[in-house]
Amino acid sequence: MKNKQIYLFIISICLSTNMLIGQTESNSNDTLIKKDKLLNINKLRFGFDLLKPIVSSSEGDNLNYEIVGDLQLTENIYLAGEYGSIDKLIEDENINFNSSGSFLRVGLDYNLFKNWIGMDNSIYVGFRYGNSSFSNKILNYEVRNKDSYFSNLVEDEFQTIEYSNLSGNWIEILLGIKVETFKNVYLGLSLRLNKLLSDEKPNNFGNLFIPGFNKVTDENTFGSGFNYTLTYSIPLKKRK
Amino acid sequence: MIKGSHLILISLILILSCEKDDICIEGSDNTNRITIGFLDDKTKNPTGISLVNLKSIGNDSIIHETFSGQSIKLPLKVNSTKTQFLLDNNDLIDTLTIYHQSIHQYLNRSCGYKSNFIINSQTEITKQTGWIREISVIKDSIFNEEQTNIFIHY
Repeated sequence: MKNKQIYLFIISICLSTNMLIGQTESNSNDTLIKKDKLLNINKLRFGFDLLKPIVSSSEGDNLNYEIVGDLQLTENIYLAGEYGSIDKLIEDENINFNSSGSFLRVGLDYNLFKNWIGMDNSIYVGFRYGNSSFSNKILNYEVRNKDSYFSNLVEDEFQTIEYSNLSGNWIEILLGIKVETFKNVYLGLSLRLNKLLSDEKPNNFGNLFIPGFNKVTDENTFGSGFNYTLTYSIPLKKRK
Repeated sequence: MIKGSHLILISLILILSCEKDDICIEGSDNTNRITIGFLDDKTKNPTGISLVNLKSIGNDSIIHETFSGQSIKLPLKVNSTKTQFLLDNNDLIDTLTIYHQSIHQYLNRSCGYKSNFIINSQTEITKQTGWIREISVIKDSIFNEEQTNIFIHY
């Protein structure tokens, strides 16, 4: 957990310094010419989440990853999506279990940021529809018992079960930034608020974690998430 | 434009950081103990008894140093199918072996699992001294603590 915060900190610094450098470099190119506002499909970006592989390896889980992509539709609207694979040990209050599965999210992003010419940064809002299929394997758990004379810990092989063929789907709203750090290379951050629409629950257990959606709470169907991405833009048209 | 999105960013961060802790409420469902009653072997009436150093085999700590009464509630092992107690009545020690199934029932995230028990009929008394005559299983399922599950005849 501590490692995760350190990585976050480092990447935040990289991101903010890059943004400043980007600003100063482009000042020399200032003009008042505006871009075309018609349908212009001239950008296709592919990339991946920087944190998930690092966090999963530092926590001793199997490789987790998330591939991201977006396609520019108009000047400010992008078709966007993410695909990922998660295999993660969840240490919850009473139950430790392994959650593994894959997820897909698709939706649109809308850029709010007015770039000066020559720059290509964005601050955007967006929405996604997400779907995940996964399985949970309980490793051990503490049985709730007012009497603690005997150990209440239940370890593997005694009523620990693998629950497979689970699924969940949800919607997200998100806010993010993308900064062009080098030509055609972008660093991005997005924060997401999720609302679970439905999920396939196992018998005698709950969905406490859904890959792609993250933690599911008892009280409500909201969740949250974020990603730090590095993307490469495949230029479909030459930039003026 | 940028100011507006900053507002959204700040509020989103605030929402994300307000993650509520799930706390299991005191009165929620819980694992129940077995209720053992004591009967006089001749009259079959509930009769008070005195026990000392009540403990389980394989566990060094003592549940009750002294006990006296007509019935007692004892915990069962949630991760085993056998729970044994040493019943010491005036230095006469007999072993009560309870065979049971532990059925774990999922409650929710904050409370996790509770255990229900079903007592098997092999449940027996190992007579070292024989102060206990016999035992009878009255109610084999433990879903609450109101009913007596087994009677010890002495």
